[in-house]
Amino acid sequence: MKTTLATIFAGLLAATPLAAQSAADFPTQPMTYIIPFNAGGESDISARFQQAEWESVTGQQVVIQYQAGAGGAQAWSQLNSLPGDGYTVMGINLPHTILQPMAGSVGYKTEDLTPVHYFHYTPDAIFVRKESQFTALDQLIEYAKANPGLVTFAGSGSNSSNNLAAIRFNELAGVTTTYVPFSGTGPSITAVLGGSTMAGFNYATSGVSQGDALRMLAVAADERLAAFPDVPTFKELGYELVGGAYRGVAVPASTPEDLRQRISDIVSEINAQPGFVDKMESGGFVLTDVGYDQMDAFVAKRVEEYTAGAKALGIIQ
Amino acid sequence: MDIIGFLWDALTPVNLVLALVGVVLGTVIGALPGLSATMAVAVLVPFTFTMDPAAGLIALGAIYTGAIYGGAFAAILVNTPGTPSSIATTFDGFPMAKRGDGGLALSVATFASVAGGVVGAVALLLLAPPLAKVALAFGPTEYFWLAIFGLTLIAALSVGNTSKGLIGACIGLFLSMIGVAVVGGDVRYTLGMQRFLGGIDLTSAIIGLYCVPVILDLVATADPHLKPSAQGGLRVREGLAIAMKSKFNLVRSSVIGTVIGILPGAGGSIAGLVSYSEARRSSKQSETFGKGNPDGVIATEAANNATVGGGFIPTLVLGIPGTPPDAIILGALLVQGIKIGPTLFTTDAPVVYTFIWGLLIATLLMLPVGLLIGRYAYASIVKVPKTVLAPTVALLTIIGSFAIHSNMDDAQLMVGLGIIAWILNRYGFQPSPIVLGLVLGSIAEQGFVQTWLIGNASGRIPEMFFGRPISIGIIIAALVTLTFPIWVDWKARRRKQLETSSAPADDAGASIAPEGKTRDLAGMTFAASFAVLGLAIWSGASGLTMLGSVFPRTIAMALAVFSLMLIAQNLRRPVGTAGRAKFALDTGGWRRLLLGAVMLAWVFLLPEIGFLVTSFAAFLAVMVIADHDRPPPQTWALWIATAAAICAGLWWLMANVLLLRMPAGLLF
Repeated sequence: MKTTLATIFAGLLAATPLAAQSAADFPTQPMTYIIPFNAGGESDISARFQQAEWESVTGQQVVIQYQAGAGGAQAWSQLNSLPGDGYTVMGINLPHTILQPMAGSVGYKTEDLTPVHYFHYTPDAIFVRKESQFTALDQLIEYAKANPGLVTFAGSGSNSSNNLAAIRFNELAGVTTTYVPFSGTGPSITAVLGGSTMAGFNYATSGVSQGDALRMLAVAADERLAAFPDVPTFKELGYELVGGAYRGVAVPASTPEDLRQRISDIVSEINAQPGFVDKMESGGFVLTDVGYDQMDAFVAKRVEEYTAGAKALGIIQ
Repeated sequence: MDIIGFLWDALTPVNLVLALVGVVLGTVIGALPGLSATMAVAVLVPFTFTMDPAAGLIALGAIYTGAIYGGAFAAILVNTPGTPSSIATTFDGFPMAKRGDGGLALSVATFASVAGGVVGAVALLLLAPPLAKVALAFGPTEYFWLAIFGLTLIAALSVGNTSKGLIGACIGLFLSMIGVAVVGGDVRYTLGMQRFLGGIDLTSAIIGLYCVPVILDLVATADPHLKPSAQGGLRVREGLAIAMKSKFNLVRSSVIGTVIGILPGAGGSIAGLVSYSEARRSSKQSETFGKGNPDGVIATEAANNATVGGGFIPTLVLGIPGTPPDAIILGALLVQGIKIGPTLFTTDAPVVYTFIWGLLIATLLMLPVGLLIGRYAYASIVKVPKTVLAPTVALLTIIGSFAIHSNMDDAQLMVGLGIIAWILNRYGFQPSPIVLGLVLGSIAEQGFVQTWLIGNASGRIPEMFFGRPISIGIIIAALVTLTFPIWVDWKARRRKQLETSSAPADDAGASIAPEGKTRDLAGMTFAASFAVLGLAIWSGASGLTMLGSVFPRTIAMALAVFSLMLIAQNLRRPVGTAGRAKFALDTGGWRRLLLGAVMLAWVFLLPEIGFLVTSFAAFLAVMVIADHDRPPPQTWALWIATAAAICAGLWWLMANVLLLRMPAGLLF
């Protein structure tokens, strides 16, 4: 009995200094990582990859929770009402958090959110299925020029990165194609594989799990991807199309500066773990290392870029 | 064959224990409305990182299949689908329980679930790569027609009351459009409120629509919740005999479940609804469906457990998850470093086949586990006094709808919709068509708009909709389902006319009350307001993009037309003397009103005051409302202690096991 009481007391003592701890000791208890989407998407999978390394880097586990709704807006609009003790972090995505507030009232503004680290992006890419007549991008462009509107691209969602890329592509290549939005990567890949649409504008990650059932014609990255050394970039082919969905970690606005920096450092450190790098790169993700100190400049640049995109999408005049 | 060899790998003690624990945990979680397989699997994924891949998968698969099965418990015993997969289980399961056959319904559901699960798992084991092609053969057009096929079930569910059923479906379809549209990205019908941005959550809507009316009726009278069974127990032998006799239904439903499970995004709820409507159509006693026909329970439960194995087929073969739990399991595999996709069945054969055998074993374990849990659950639901049962169920509905997104907005919506559903139900607007519309609406809309976009690109819109072979098959099935009940009804009416029998039909427990022969003034008033709602939906669509406004406009028009149709129908009838829905405030009425008020206060005060304090206070209040016997103080003391234990226990489960952020508020 005495020992039990002593243990409880010791436990209480250990628990009290939590509030006053320094950022150097952080974290001293398990953290919660909210994913504003359903399980199984790129946000979830990359977070699960991080989760596998989290304990060895921080000494504490991280618990992943899903709070899907309104394409992420449901969770992001509640981010600032969460406790700012650093123990609750949330996944954050671009262009979502820039395009959504532009499109309408979604309960938050881009500048309300506090991303501390953008750790990777999944470049957009054009896919066709194995049976397709197109083996190279210029064939598809030629066909699209001869038959305006006839080429259909399946993609994930409206006003999304895929949607933006399809519109930019139309502009750059001087063609007219039809973008067909689906309710996520899974259904849109199904549409490409099943031949419902002629091609797909999806993330490069989809190419990995499909093997040779899908053919990637071009990828919107700066350099060729490690997972797809034979697939050219749009840049190589003469189209200035680089982009995709960026994913990062955000904290509530009430989180103190030193903890923001500390969480940014944790994510950076995970980004350098060989096991993590290997899983991400072979999965078609492109790692980035945009830490808290570079965040303002990075977001400002994206806002500028997506504002132009939003005009093309007809979201703003 | 190699495949058999992997069976021994699955039979290690560790794997067997994992399968058993997974099934028990899954069944319990599935039985609690709102707590889903997705949630349980998501919480447990990190524990599998350190396990052997196959063992981890077996644990997750066992929880998943157990949860889908567990949904039947709540569906049968309290008329609330524990998971959306068991929506159609309520149609016959609850009427069976009400008349004293609850134990039988549970054992029939258990046999059906095991059989369905086995068929799905065997299909996964033997036929996965070829069957994965089914997922690819289904394009947007097929999904659209599949959703329409599901909607035709309304005709069967509302024989003799079709206009009200159709109006209900339109309301459900309208509810499904609220929020940010996937196709077009418009923000629709949120009334500028943040809480509606994410749309109406299906699970919390189902809990509200089905369960709140049950609780309201529970407190109104002193009658027991379920009629005590004459024989007692689960009547396993009788259940087995019924399941064996319906073997054709069992096999057909399992196959339907497997195939629909393969379709990503369709899921267990649609599988259950489609096989239910097939079972009803092909049954010789189709008129007893909805009134407690065990075949209805068999069809749904066999189909929804078959979707588990079916759903793993596209997940493992194509890397496209069939359902949300599949998606989490897919993520767990990727973390383990296993490459999903067409080569998985050859490169990682040991892991995959060991897992499939494990899933099969877990499915078989559901039989003893389910019968044991079922026995206990049934006995306690029958024995527990109403005074404790009503607040416990109420607490579970609130916790369950909160748990889905850790958001009280969902619980508030749940109670609000529930109270509306109870009122509408009184005037002949049943909840099931509304739920059907809500489940199928987004699938129908996305399929429709995508088909239209693709067809428009090539200038072949009519061919896209009506020219594809699978689509034609689904359209024919839909037409048969639509016209069949009307034909049966017409035949029965003719026979009656010939017999000129005057014996009134016993419609106690009927899923849909037959329409009165006199003018239904209340129904007309509701119809008028729905016609106005239709106008509002139409005008609300004016600011939307073309893609986003096609569907709302169609639904608005349909709602207005059906409402006017109902009014016209009633104008042709003679004015009745006594409206059957006279609202007298007797004691039952007062109790209902009070309970509704308490539940509303509960969900709106909870975020302000805190979970434990509010729930305990509300629990006590509901106990007082539900009490008809005025027992001695000792009994009350015991009940209050029970109340404290239930509230604290569930809080602990939520906060520490499922790791939800519980609303703390001012107190705790």
